Order: sequence, then structure tokens, then C-alpha cells
Amino acid sequence: MSLLELTDVHTYYGESHILQGVDLAVEESEIVALIGRNGVGKTTTLRSILQLTPPREGTVRFKGEDVTGDSTHDVAGRGIGWVPEERRMFGYLTVEENVRVAVPPEADFEAEREYVFDLFPDLERFREKEARNLSGGQQQMLAIARGMVGNNDLLLVDEPSEGLAPLIVEQVVDALREASAETTLVLVEQNFPLAMDLADRFYLLDHGTVVESGATDGVTADDDRIRRYLSA
Amino acid sequence: MDTVTDTTAAHARDDEHWLREYAREHVPHLLVIALFAVYPPIYGLLLRTPLSAEANAFLPGTTFLIAMLFLGLFAMSFDFISGYTGYLSFGHAAFYGVGAYFIVLVANGDVPGIPAGTPFVITMIVGGLLAFGLALAIGAVSFRLSGVYFAMITLGFAQVAYELVRNWNYVAVNPQDGPTLSGPTPEIGIPYVDSVSIALGRLAGDSFENVLGLGIDISATLTSYYAIGAVVLLSYFAMQRLIHSPFGRVMIAIRENEERAAAIGYNVFWYKMVAFGFSAFFAAIAGALFAAFSRGASPDETFYFLVTADALIVTIVGGIGTLAGPFFGTAFYEWLEDILSSEQGGLAPYLRGILPDGVLTADIAGITIADLINTVVDGRAPLFLGIVFVLFVLFVPNGLLGSVRDRLGNTVGKYVGGRLERYRR
Repeated sequence: MSLLELTDVHTYYGESHILQGVDLAVEESEIVALIGRNGVGKTTTLRSILQLTPPREGTVRFKGEDVTGDSTHDVAGRGIGWVPEERRMFGYLTVEENVRVAVPPEADFEAEREYVFDLFPDLERFREKEARNLSGGQQQMLAIARGMVGNNDLLLVDEPSEGLAPLIVEQVVDALREASAETTLVLVEQNFPLAMDLADRFYLLDHGTVVESGATDGVTADDDRIRRYLSA
Repeated sequence: MDTVTDTTAAHARDDEHWLREYAREHVPHLLVIALFAVYPPIYGLLLRTPLSAEANAFLPGTTFLIAMLFLGLFAMSFDFISGYTGYLSFGHAAFYGVGAYFIVLVANGDVPGIPAGTPFVITMIVGGLLAFGLALAIGAVSFRLSGVYFAMITLGFAQVAYELVRNWNYVAVNPQDGPTLSGPTPEIGIPYVDSVSIALGRLAGDSFENVLGLGIDISATLTSYYAIGAVVLLSYFAMQRLIHSPFGRVMIAIRENEERAAAIGYNVFWYKMVAFGFSAFFAAIAGALFAAFSRGASPDETFYFLVTADALIVTIVGGIGTLAGPFFGTAFYEWLEDILSSEQGGLAPYLRGILPDGVLTADIAGITIADLINTVVDGRAPLFLGIVFVLFVLFVPNGLLGSVRDRLGNTVGKYVGGRLERYRR
């Protein structure tokens, strides 16, 4: 049984048919990258998993249970974390409050806080600062930290390197590696070499369907089956 | 920012007694409370000095102070839902109206099952719970929408309530004017204990002479001011407590990014519902205080949509999402209204008194200065407030308190607390 399984998922925004039958499976403790050009449905796939945009057809199974049509907070409560694109902080909450709000009431907040502040010492220094006043890289760290607390079994990470300086991207990659020791990761990433470096397997999307998939080992952007879909 | 001293200060705070830290962060609160407490006697003294004309013209009188209190509470309750979850409650007047009408109807013995003599404090709270329930009912439908659609549908509900009470013979003989309170004067205090209950009202309320032998007289109006002020203060601290609780953090998370809050695992629908209920509760308390002090309520002063609009305006002026800001916005509004009306002193009579006759009768392009004062100044508060509102939206979009907080980089309480901490060392 796969940890996450999407079967023939069709998702619409209004009348636009975005996902046109996506099939994918994610096994426990692997890192899976979703790649493809802009607008092929990568983010929509993540939103469909979380039921933020519920699919009209097909099923999403998590830990073997059908979660299609459940409310987002129920799906999240089963152990899925989300690091949304553009980082989307709770800007007017402080760094510490951002972490606190992500820790479920039954979990040990002190332990969780220590865990993320150990991982991201920068965040501890700014713990009393409102998140909107952090730099882009710090915000991304906080977004990842927030996804990591609360015992999630699966973390959906959307465009973690977007808009960040190369040096900061390295830190983010380190953080994601660190996170992958604890949870399974599904990663949407535009930066192809980075995605191949980080992930174990990939799914290549085009026009709302999976067109290629496989292990990332040895796959380069020059690969014919990749280049056809990634170059403009 | 100096991060090194920041962290040492943070560690020092960890070791400190929580009570001392709490007190230090409430220094600004204490100052504001003290200001409102000593203002009336100082105002009274000023009226006996040579500056009396100026004081009368430029400082708010007691009637305006009381309006400041209950309207301020209403504005804060509006900010509680609108500023902290981001859902603009354009129908908030309905909850204010429920609180106001309920205490009048109970006092008049018109509510089956609740005897006319039930203490005001109890009916006020029951009215608040009623508003809480009404908010859940309205929210169950309205929270399926967001943004401008939420604002419009709540406005729609409030207008339905407005039309209902305006035409419902049950609430008053002449429902368009609303009911008047015919029973005994409402009292604030501990129910059923006479010695700790204070009667409200402009003329009929309690008054105290020669308090503590200090030669200070407290008139009936002023007594009401302090009693109502106490309820408003309690309500403020209750709302402040909620906002700083885990519940309040989720409210802010919903405002900042509702999808993200849901994806963390919060049932955002119920968080919004309960927040809406609390804000309705305090709106009803404000309405009850208004009706108790004015000994009656009319549909146009309670359920009408312009009542909500006033709350919206003072919230923008004071700072949306700051809780205390709307109260200061209300104070500013009432102060402006006092200056520009001649109900209690004001600018127009002051100018007429101070300017020599020659100036007043001087003719400029066909009208005299005296006419100009009558036309432009006297009773023109709404006009000037409109201008002030436009200027605020353009130049101070975060409002009074919001701008101060942005400047300090923190809430005023935390900032002042931090400063005091450094002086202590």
C-alpha cells in the first residue's frame, strides 16, 4: 500500500479542466518531485491532495483511506503538511506564534519548538519578530519549519526555491533533506537540476496528465523525453 | 534591530515573575484608564477657571464621553470579527439592536418567561447570549461566502431585522420610534445586592455628593459614565484575552491565509462561527448600555446599517485589527462631533462669543462671517468627519493605533514594557 495514491484525478477551476486524469503514487519516506512547465497542474495536484480544490472525478487515498471530498482540515489532520508557494506566512504573527499555531493542541509545543529552532537557529534569533518583517529566505525557512512540526507523515512543498538567492537555496535544500529524514516529501519545483538532485523519483506533468515518471538517477535536462516537455 | 540585546532580554523575561511582566505590559492600559477616570473632575475644574470658554468649546462634555464608551465598545466588537478574521460584518448593527431592544423589552415586562424586575446585568448578559445565537444562525449561512459577498449577505440579514422591528407592533406601540424603558432605572453592579449596584441615567440615576469627604460631587450622568466605563473596560479585557489566546492566533491565521490555516488542520468554519458569536455578544452588551442610558431604543439608532457604517469609519480611523484602535477612533469622532455641534459648548458659540461684532457682521462676497460660522461649523461634524476619513484612508491607512504600532514595531504595551525593562536595569 502506498502512502499516497491518486487515481484518475480530474480537477477543475470553474469550467477550466486543469487536471485531466492524474495517476501517481508516493511510497513512505521517499522524496518525489513534480516537474513540468508553468500551468500544467503541479500546484493544482497539491491542492487536490489537500482538498483545497476538491477533484470532481477520481480518488485521492492517503494511508489507504479515501479522502476525496473530505474537508481540508480533516485531510490535514491525518498527517499532511503544506508549504505553500510564495511562502504565505501568517505575517502579523511572530515567528514563534507561527510555529505555535502549527503545533496541534495535543502535541508538546516546547519539544516541537526546540526541534525546529535547533534546525533553524536563524529563526530562534528572530522568534519575537513578526513574520512579515523577515527576509525571503527566513520566511521560507519558517514555512518549512511550520510544515515539519506536528508529526506530519507527508509534506507537500510548493516551489521552495522560488525567488531566493543561490546561497539561500542551499540552506533551504539542507532543510528539506533534514525534513525528509522524518517525513515523506512531495516537491513541486521549477529548478530542474535541483529537483533531480533532491528527489528519488519524479513525475513529469503536461496538460494535466502525467507523461513521464521514474527514478531521478542519471536523468538530465538533455534527456529527450524530458526536453520535449520542459523547453518552450 | 539589535538582535543580541533582544535575545538576552528575552531570556531575562523567561526568568522573571509573570505578574511583573504582565503589569509592565499593561502600563499603557493603566495610563488610558487613569486618563478617562480623572478627566471629568479636571474638566469640571477647568470650567471654573478663566479658560472655561476654551475648555467648553474644545474639550468633550460628559454626554459625549458616555456615547464614546458604548459606541467605542460597539466599534471594538466590530473590529474583533472584521479586523481579526478579515470578514467584514456589515450587519453588526443587528447585534447592537438585539442587545438594546432586549433589555428594554425585558424591563417593560414584554418578554414571556423573564420577569420585569430581572436585574439589568443579567438581562444584558442574556441579551448578549441571544446575539451570540443569532450570530451562529447568520454565520451558518454567511460563512459559506467570503470577501464582499460575506459583507453583503450580513448587511442583508441586518436590513431584514431592521425592517422587522420597524414594523412589529409587539416591540412598541409605535415601532418606528422604538420602545421606551418604562420600568425602574437599570443598575450596574452585582445583581440583587443594592449596596453595590449603581443606577444609570442622565437624570434619574444615582449621584454622590462629597465623595470621601473630599468635596467632590459626582452627578448622575457622571456616575453612569463610571459604571458604563467599568463594563466597557471588562469587555475590552475579555476580548483582548481572547485575541491573545490560542483561539485568537487561529483567528489571525484565518485572516492572513485561510487555506493555510485549514491545511494546518483547523476547522476554520467553526473558528469563524465562534469568533462571530463573541463579537456579536459584545456588540449586544454595547447596545444594552446604550439603551439603558438613553432609556429606550429606536430602530434608526440601533438596527440601521449606518450604525455599522459609523463603527466601520471609526475602526478605519483608529486602526483596523488593533482592538483598542477603534475605541480611540470613536473618541476622536465624538470629540470632533462635540466641537462642531453646539449641544454642549462647541466651536460655533465660542467663535460667536470671542469674535468682535465688527468681524461677525463683516460681509464677504454676500455672506457675513456669522452666517459662515452657522453654515460651515455648527453641527457639521459628519461633513468634517467625511473629510477626515478620506484623509485617513489616503495618508494613514493603518489608522491611529495601527500606525503607532508599525512605528514601534510592536504593540504599545510590549514596547513600553520593553522600555521600562531597560530602565529597571
